[in-house]
Amino acid sequence: MMVGSKVDYDINDLYIPKDNKGDINYQKSFIASLTIIVKDKDGKVIKKYKQKSHSPTSNFIGLMLPLTWYHETGNSWTITNTSNSTSSYTPTITGNGGGVIYPNSGYNNNDYIVNILVGSGSQSNSYNAHNLNAPISNGSGTGQLLYSTLSTPTNITINGNQAYFIISQTYTNQSGSTITISEVGIILNLITEAASSYSPSTSTVVGNTLVWYDVLSSPISVANGQSITIYYTFSVNA
Amino acid sequence: MLVSEKIPKEDLDYILEPFKEEDNKKEEDNKQIISEKIIAIVRDAKGKIIDKREQKMKSLTQYYLALMSIPILGTYSYGSTNTATGILTNVLGLPSNQSIYNDSAVINFDTSIQLGSGTQSFSLTLKNLNAPISNGSGTGQLVYYSQGIQYSGNFISQLLTVSNISGNTITVSEIGLLGTIYIVYWSSSSTLTATPYNYLFSYDTFSSPISIPNGGSATFQIIITFSG
Repeated sequence: MMVGSKVDYDINDLYIPKDNKGDINYQKSFIASLTIIVKDKDGKVIKKYKQKSHSPTSNFIGLMLPLTWYHETGNSWTITNTSNSTSSYTPTITGNGGGVIYPNSGYNNNDYIVNILVGSGSQSNSYNAHNLNAPISNGSGTGQLLYSTLSTPTNITINGNQAYFIISQTYTNQSGSTITISEVGIILNLITEAASSYSPSTSTVVGNTLVWYDVLSSPISVANGQSITIYYTFSVNA
Repeated sequence: MLVSEKIPKEDLDYILEPFKEEDNKKEEDNKQIISEKIIAIVRDAKGKIIDKREQKMKSLTQYYLALMSIPILGTYSYGSTNTATGILTNVLGLPSNQSIYNDSAVINFDTSIQLGSGTQSFSLTLKNLNAPISNGSGTGQLVYYSQGIQYSGNFISQLLTVSNISGNTITVSEIGLLGTIYIVYWSSSSTLTATPYNYLFSYDTFSSPISIPNGGSATFQIIITFSG
């Protein structure tokens, strides 16, 4: 319960960082990284590559905004899927409720990570990216890579002063030619809805949604017969 | 089908190896994805600013990382069953499958700032402030006003204003970002239930304690910036 009279002038002191993008000296509390390991057809490691990952997309940000922001502003968030279709997202704990679907004993429409999508293009505005610029499809035809099953974590690992989880996927080139990977993204099959949804017809199936996107600092060439494993690591550090 | 596989040790060693200078030749490679800062502005009873602080925030907990897993991994463990991901159940203690009356269930969350007068060492599994300052006008209390959140471009700013009418100076030495995750569902034909699960998402101590005089007020901000 609030008591006393509100001191409303302090809100005018709201500090807006002018350009936090340029400040690289902040304590690195959160780190995401991208690790790539290329192997030849015999499984021998022939290249290792690692870079910091930079880019949650606008879709990700909307899902990370707290309820208070939605309640205060009255705004919804526009989520755009990989087919460029938009959906409005407004979480709430009142009315009929709203948010991301959660496993339950009634109606389910699964919200889950689909894959780590790789591509051969690039785009500069990762915040507004809704898909990879030039996705590489799954297969053994020209320009394709064979996507293996995605590996997902069942827990957060704590190792010393670091807590992390890792997602990984392996791709094999059986296309007959070298394929170059230059962009990577995480695709989520996103389902948002009200708790009063009775069936698939009343839930919002956003569908395949790009939530994280990176352009590789150095494109990786995968020769025919080679395989490549991509690891996304998300960590916080004490 | 999605599966969880053991990562080969040699790969894991390389993944967890700290970045070397040669791994990040471009300036862009060293940009922070998420950076955080804390700002405090203290005023006396007449509204005059008597203290200003700005410091880097250092300490996100594993619970914030688990929250971030929702827009990355989703809520379902994999596409063919109706169970929550291991991170949601193992780290956050959420139910594997929420029992409901009918229809469906959803998940969302909110955050708030908590101030405290103690200190403690940070750990990734920290759950509470050492000595939280409660809301009120009694001895050792601060009046917490409703909290605001702004989002602009690339940062989320959480703002808290407090005033001290306790009769004595109050010293603030620790600050935390509290998180509440809600699972929302119909528990009967007429009752929408939002079950709260509470966490500490971040914890920091001030480099030197902040004193709020009686009659004074203070604004605290936690800013989380996504580089994009």
